[in-house]
Amino acid sequence: MTPLVITGLGAVAQGLVGRAAFEGATREREVGQFRAPTLFDESKWPGARVLEATDFDPAPVLGDKGLRNLDRLTRFFLVAARNALEDAGLKREGKWTEGADGRRAGVCASTAYGSLESMVELHRVALLESPRYLNPAKFPNTVINAALGYVSIWEDLRAVNATVCNGNCGALDSVLVAETFLSTDRADVIVIGGAEAMHEALYLAFERLEAMATEGQPFAPGDPDRSRGMRLGEGAVLLTVEREESARARGASCNVRITGFGTSFEPPPSEVMIINLSAEAIERAVRLALADANLSANDIDAVVSASNGYAAYDRAEQSALAKIFDAPRPRALAKRAFGETLGAGGAFALGTAYVALDKQIAPAAHDSAAWPTDAKRLLVLSTGFYGNATAVVVERAR
Amino acid sequence: MAEGLHHPGCHMGSRVFVTGAGVVSSLGYGREAFQRALVEGRSGVTKVSGFDTSAIGRDFAAEVKDFRARDWLTAAEARRTGRCSAFCIAGARMALEDAKLAQDAIQGERTAVVLGTTMGEVALIEKLDRAWVASGPNGVSDVEVSRYGTTLLPIHVARAVGARGMVLTLPAACAAGNYAIGFGADLIRRGRADVVITGASEIIGQVQFSGFVRLGAVAPDRCQPFDLERQGLIVGEGAAIFVLESEAHAIRRGATPLAEVGGWGIACDAFHITRPHPDGEGTLHALRKAIADSGFNADDVDFINAHGTATKANDAVEARCLNEVFGSRRVPVSSIKSMIGHCMGAASALEAASCIETVREGWYPPTMNYTQRDPECDLAVVANEARRGASSVVLNNSLAFGGYDAAVIFARPEKIPADAPCLR
Repeated sequence: MTPLVITGLGAVAQGLVGRAAFEGATREREVGQFRAPTLFDESKWPGARVLEATDFDPAPVLGDKGLRNLDRLTRFFLVAARNALEDAGLKREGKWTEGADGRRAGVCASTAYGSLESMVELHRVALLESPRYLNPAKFPNTVINAALGYVSIWEDLRAVNATVCNGNCGALDSVLVAETFLSTDRADVIVIGGAEAMHEALYLAFERLEAMATEGQPFAPGDPDRSRGMRLGEGAVLLTVEREESARARGASCNVRITGFGTSFEPPPSEVMIINLSAEAIERAVRLALADANLSANDIDAVVSASNGYAAYDRAEQSALAKIFDAPRPRALAKRAFGETLGAGGAFALGTAYVALDKQIAPAAHDSAAWPTDAKRLLVLSTGFYGNATAVVVERAR
Repeated sequence: MAEGLHHPGCHMGSRVFVTGAGVVSSLGYGREAFQRALVEGRSGVTKVSGFDTSAIGRDFAAEVKDFRARDWLTAAEARRTGRCSAFCIAGARMALEDAKLAQDAIQGERTAVVLGTTMGEVALIEKLDRAWVASGPNGVSDVEVSRYGTTLLPIHVARAVGARGMVLTLPAACAAGNYAIGFGADLIRRGRADVVITGASEIIGQVQFSGFVRLGAVAPDRCQPFDLERQGLIVGEGAAIFVLESEAHAIRRGATPLAEVGGWGIACDAFHITRPHPDGEGTLHALRKAIADSGFNADDVDFINAHGTATKANDAVEARCLNEVFGSRRVPVSSIKSMIGHCMGAASALEAASCIETVREGWYPPTMNYTQRDPECDLAVVANEARRGASSVVLNNSLAFGGYDAAVIFARPEKIPADAPCLR
């Protein structure tokens, strides 16, 4: 792939907004403060433990006008996009800085279940009252690309706009979509990453699939022998990416580059299955990403894992990595700190890799192996529930 | 740059051919039957049968009424897919057969699946929510839960055809078909795949039908693109799936291309979530980029398959943009939404299927229900009757929710100039 430099980061998660807070959480948060849900009735879900951005308020970043009909996902995206553009020096107080141009800027980001909140809300109105009472101002939120449509409107991103869906792998897939758009001269700068919002329907779905670790049950992503299940988180991580020459031309920091991408799909072994946690797909995605970066496994210093605490899911990654690496690599376990954020999961992982390389931060959420003191190259993973897997290689330039 | 990733037979900047197409539509199945119905001016619009519309004040749509999943899917596939995914698999099987590409001839890791949609398995979420309301969480089937997700469309198709490369959904609303085809072509040109199964699928759900009505966008009983008396869109459904191949892959196996995919243009209006920019800035950019990337100028385009939803705002802006790009040259324009309704995410994919047939056979499908010229839509509309004409280069235009704009060029094979930017 054409290497892309990461020049900015924006983030929203439980207890944090913005790059500095994300760096702080990466440095200090061993495990997130998973609590009983507040966004839906906890009494219906005994023992439920989730990581909600309960204190999230978009108004300090966006002002308090124009937010009324926007859903939670859209607000996450908007705040993280503003953060990422300002962190990259492309915007100041919401305005383009000199030389920056919305006609050459875009957004390509992931959400796996983005419109679910609005779909359920409007369907309840249709079901329990009448379709004639559907709120037309909220109807656009049922369309999954609406959230990024609002990002373009608020942030004046006119070159490209693409919502990218590949379940848990969508956020890392946005790397390739952006690289394609940047390499075909459709834009000079693109905001990539992903967001996901907590909703009772999401909790219901994973609870019905018996994938959750409830109160008192061990939650230990990366430790499948101990962990009982995953826990949902929410939020957004968006990163500003550019071709190196255009980033350099505007004087942006080019300290961290994405240099390799690989993705793969492996069907389930049985016709009756849909869920497939596939070591083969992960291994193939990693080998493709390493080849794309012209690297061998020996060049990788550490891994940002996709492990989420669901044992079979984490074992698939463990098994794949054992085939890739002669000796185990230290693994950052971003989902211990931020929960399983689904379509945003790869973005939290990529954000972790970025700040770890850019600021030499050792992620507090990691496995027992010591994080390398001078990490130069990281492998970032995302694993889907359906046999899909994506990997990227991130390198420190200096 | 890692040349090692690029298949020996697939060089950067490869030509991209459409070698097969599959269509599921309110007017029938398969590309040839679909285009024949369009050329005959038949309508797929009838009273809605899928759900009760009595409360909402509009009751016409273009539904795929006789779709039986088992005609195209195995029993296991039919059990594990929703209707939207079943459309995709059916379309993909037709496209592979059309391309004479046996499933065992697909090299899995070099085959990607990139699909578009607006709402994916919308009927499934409505069904799950009804069960939840009626019986509580325990009434929600875990089997049904695992079938929900926009992500699943390309995954079901990849399983069905043996693809093991990228699986991606680009939910770009009403421009999703053009997005998927354009990006799929880019994947091949950039050496990431030899074959891409692409296209888009959409089904009609009660919430989205009612939502369009509540937006004031739906016409009472017919769709009249670019007409003075147009009253809005008619909701439709369907799918069109294509086999795209690199030139080297197509040559190696002796495939006969149906058409060549040229350049494509995208932009975002960044203006309003449902209304197009009044000056059409994004649309103009997408149109010009698609033409220029194909190595053409506006004079080279023979026919335009327009977005033409028959809403007041869309048609006026689109007409203004087309006139600005094509100047005084009266390029024939048509909107097949007059016959198959607005199939949302699948719209531009179905229109692409028609474009490919226009490239092959030279028939311009008509814009039906066209009775009075609108001075705001001063276009050379192919009104009410199909006609034949030059068809070396055809443009497929789309606008969408979220301010999305996307346009794709289809051309006779080898017609795209070798020095076109999209081939560099």
